[in-house]
Amino acid sequence: MKNRLEELRKSRGIKQEELAAALEVSRQTIGSLENGRYNPSILLAFKIARYFDVSIEEVFIYEEEKV
Amino acid sequence: MKTRNAVLLTGVGMMLLAAGIILLKSDPQFVKSLPALPYLCIGLGAGVFGHGLGELISRQTVKNNPEIQKQMQIDQQDERNQMIANKAKGKAYDAVLYVFGALMVTYALMNADLFVILSFVIAYLCVVCISIYYRLKFDKEM
Repeated sequence: MKNRLEELRKSRGIKQEELAAALEVSRQTIGSLENGRYNPSILLAFKIARYFDVSIEEVFIYEEEKV
Repeated sequence: MKTRNAVLLTGVGMMLLAAGIILLKSDPQFVKSLPALPYLCIGLGAGVFGHGLGELISRQTVKNNPEIQKQMQIDQQDERNQMIANKAKGKAYDAVLYVFGALMVTYALMNADLFVILSFVIAYLCVVCISIYYRLKFDKEM
């Protein structure tokens, strides 16, 4: 799943380490999320959305798989 | 693990280690029928002692450093780390089934003692049964 996490983080001038500390996850998790290698749990997705004060849809972009 | 448990583990390990060395040196009558007992005590004692002491040292190191303590807690509870650990366990389980299967066939071809082959079969079935049990349990829970 694609996301705008890196864009949102950089637009607010936050480091990966700071975001990781605020969300209580490891820095590697933030890196993996930004690279699209890892899809977060619904809880973490909500935490991220709340942290940036946006809706989940504004952070994560759902695309239906092409058959 | 609590500090009390780590101290207890270290103590038990030391006692097992000492008991093993004493048994090896004194060579009492009952050890004649169990020749592996002193070595088992030493091996088990060293393992338990090392684990307990390692835990104590690690606790002592992070005790005065709340930042490291917090980071360690985050790393342990991190959902990606937990998912990776669970995925690795799953892969290891798959490997166990293949390894056990290969061992059983090898021992059967070597005409090994029936007791050895049967104990492998029972262990294999135990592992499969545990897997089925948890599959059903989680199926009901989730």
